[in-house]
Amino acid sequence: MFRRILTLPTGRIAVGIIAFIALLAVAGPFLAPYDPLEGGAEILAGPSGAHWLGTDYLGRDVLSRLLDGSRVSVLGSIQVSLVALVAGVIPGILSVYLGSVFEWVTLRLADTLIALPFLVFAVAVTALLGNGIPQAMFTVGIMISPLFFRVSRAATLSVARSQYVEAALISGASVGWVVRKHVWVKVLPPIAVALANTAGIGFVVVSSLTFLGIGVQPPAPTWGGVLAADLGYLSFRPWAPLVPTFLIMATVWACNLLADAIRDVSGEAGRALLLNRGRGHVPARTA
Amino acid sequence: MSLLEITDLDVHYRRRTGRLHVLRSVSLSLSPGETVGVIGETGSGKSTLARTILGLVKASAGRIAIDGTDVASLKPRQWRELRRRGVVQYVFQDPLRSLDPDLTVLDSLAEPLRIQGAAGIRDKILKILARVRLDEALLDRLPGELSGGQRQRVAVARALITEPRLVLLDEPVSALDSANRVQVLELLKELRDAGTALLFISHDLGSVAGIADRIAVLYEGEIVEDRPSADVINAPVHPYTRKLIRSVPTLRRADRRTPEGIPA
Amino acid sequence: MSLLALRDVKIAYDREIVHGVSFTLEPGAVVGIVGESGSGKTLTCRAALGILPEHFRISGGSIELDGHDVASLTPKQWTALRGSTISAVFQDPASYLNPSLTIGSQVAEVVRVKLGLGRRAARLRAVELLASVRLPAAVYKQYPHELSGGMLQRSLIAAAIAAQPKVLIADEATTALDVTVQAEILDLLAELRESTGLALVVVSHDLAVVAQFCDEVLVMRDGTVVEQGPVEKILYQPEHEYTRLLIEEHESYGLERYLVTS
Repeated sequence: MFRRILTLPTGRIAVGIIAFIALLAVAGPFLAPYDPLEGGAEILAGPSGAHWLGTDYLGRDVLSRLLDGSRVSVLGSIQVSLVALVAGVIPGILSVYLGSVFEWVTLRLADTLIALPFLVFAVAVTALLGNGIPQAMFTVGIMISPLFFRVSRAATLSVARSQYVEAALISGASVGWVVRKHVWVKVLPPIAVALANTAGIGFVVVSSLTFLGIGVQPPAPTWGGVLAADLGYLSFRPWAPLVPTFLIMATVWACNLLADAIRDVSGEAGRALLLNRGRGHVPARTA
Repeated sequence: MSLLEITDLDVHYRRRTGRLHVLRSVSLSLSPGETVGVIGETGSGKSTLARTILGLVKASAGRIAIDGTDVASLKPRQWRELRRRGVVQYVFQDPLRSLDPDLTVLDSLAEPLRIQGAAGIRDKILKILARVRLDEALLDRLPGELSGGQRQRVAVARALITEPRLVLLDEPVSALDSANRVQVLELLKELRDAGTALLFISHDLGSVAGIADRIAVLYEGEIVEDRPSADVINAPVHPYTRKLIRSVPTLRRADRRTPEGIPA
Repeated sequence: MSLLALRDVKIAYDREIVHGVSFTLEPGAVVGIVGESGSGKTLTCRAALGILPEHFRISGGSIELDGHDVASLTPKQWTALRGSTISAVFQDPASYLNPSLTIGSQVAEVVRVKLGLGRRAARLRAVELLASVRLPAAVYKQYPHELSGGMLQRSLIAAAIAAQPKVLIADEATTALDVTVQAEILDLLAELRESTGLALVVVSHDLAVVAQFCDEVLVMRDGTVVEQGPVEKILYQPEHEYTRLLIEEHESYGLERYLVTS
């Protein structure tokens, strides 16, 4: 599947940007030319040979702060996606099979979560659980999980009513068998799309929260934090907010592009191919 | 003893407007090795009959015994055990939908055996392939890569792999073209001659009459006629059967349709 | 003079798909075409109706419709001929009707466009047409989803004969229907032929359907007419192996096995 995504130009761009951001997250803190917490240079300086992106209001190197902050943003986004994935997909599949009570409860829970404004809710929960990125991201993950719940439930429902599942049941298959052998592979492509989408949402959320100062204590650098700080000094460095904004936008855009690319290769033929155990041609569907 | 014994089977669905009767006191029995055609048109309840026999639809009243076991009272776990023995199998109308598009022919054929936990799966598959005359090279193809006739033979092979004593066939040849229809019918005839009981369910009397020992005509949820094929066709008793027989297009120009039409 | 004459008609997409079909249809006669899906029977019909799918073209031979060589027809002339000279009904009647309009209004619209009648006259004519295909008057005010497949096909036949065409093509028109309903529709076509002198082209995958009332039969496979001739010859002295297969299917698995030969 991955190779097929790379055959699409959009897929290549998306994977390229995401790989670059991931590289920043891993190596960024080591690449940072200065200590991101250490001030002392000229404050609010423009770009120079020593400080490529200038310095902030405490004289800290902005490039170092962005490089160092990339880790928080990327890890946060991954955490959001994983929490949403686990909290959404498992009940999503099970809601089809575990009987009407479980179905009713999970459906109402999903509706409730969708109805809550999640940024506000995340603020409230961090107030309750303590101000930290893991708590905030966990909360956001749960808030996004209805997306996965719906996607996986819809895919499961369509498979559960199919004749091949009936054929398996007639041969004496258990529900567990049906989920493992038939449902799981059909649910994967839509989940992959949802995952790429939530990774993008995760980025925005982490950035929004850190912009508001939630989830990270002030000296620790984040993209949202840098953006917030830059916005305070627009009259001195009017171009400065563009840099973190561009980073956030590029990442979110790449995640959405990736989601589109996955959707494109997961069409009828594409899906068959991605599960095709490496054989190289698209099966012709003859009716 | 009968392999399948249906007595006074009633199936109805509850609707807001009252009960919707799908089957009314249907009785039907099948001896080992017998081939019976159940003929019914749209809305006759023929698919519900098959699904009820297989335990996919709950009977409202009546008794269904498969190989001596009364299945109406079975709990889900007992049903699973009965099905795993592979005594009864089912062939759907449209193999494109009844075979998982993401499983290779090999995996589809192996599934009933894997569910049973049987041994020697590969040998059994090779044997069954020879029997339905499919090439071994097709084993790692996906259903979408097969022709319609090949697909239906895979579906039949899948049903036969547990060596069932009774096979239910729901419109097994309706979706096929003539050449493939003849091949699949030939295969079913061999199966019949080898002693497997077959229950054909079809709207098209013409497509299965030649292979059924007996024909049961299902009309609006009731079996209105159940007699040896030759009798049903040559001397139908029920008015609906008469209309049906007259309607089936045949190659005999002698019984070219009568302009006065058919009584409703 | 024949109503419809196909002379060695070839149809091509990027390569040739139908390799030469010839037949002539006299007034009141019935020609049958038998073949599987993909045999080219539907393309042949569509060529005769001037409605080949995009990128398909008649690459050889000629079609003469009621004295006109269709190759020389302008789109406007074609529109005038369709409905009033040649018409057709197909499989899956529901897809040819607008689900949000009543049956009557759809038949009346055809009457208005094809016969140029006013609203009131068109409505009266539509009611007559529905009666002529043996539909109850109540159908006029009903919507497609309220009717069975057989009734929908009758409605379409009513619309198809609205402008009193001389040729009606029935392309798998009874395929998706129950056997008893199929028989009723075939009876209706036979009746229309007797009462109005309508000439029919009956297309089916089932030789028996065609054999019921055709005078001449074409057996098609993979774009080629493998056998063609009077129905008696096709049924009793088939020459091609494929025709024999079609007959054998009926003889060994169909009703024929039991029918007492009288």
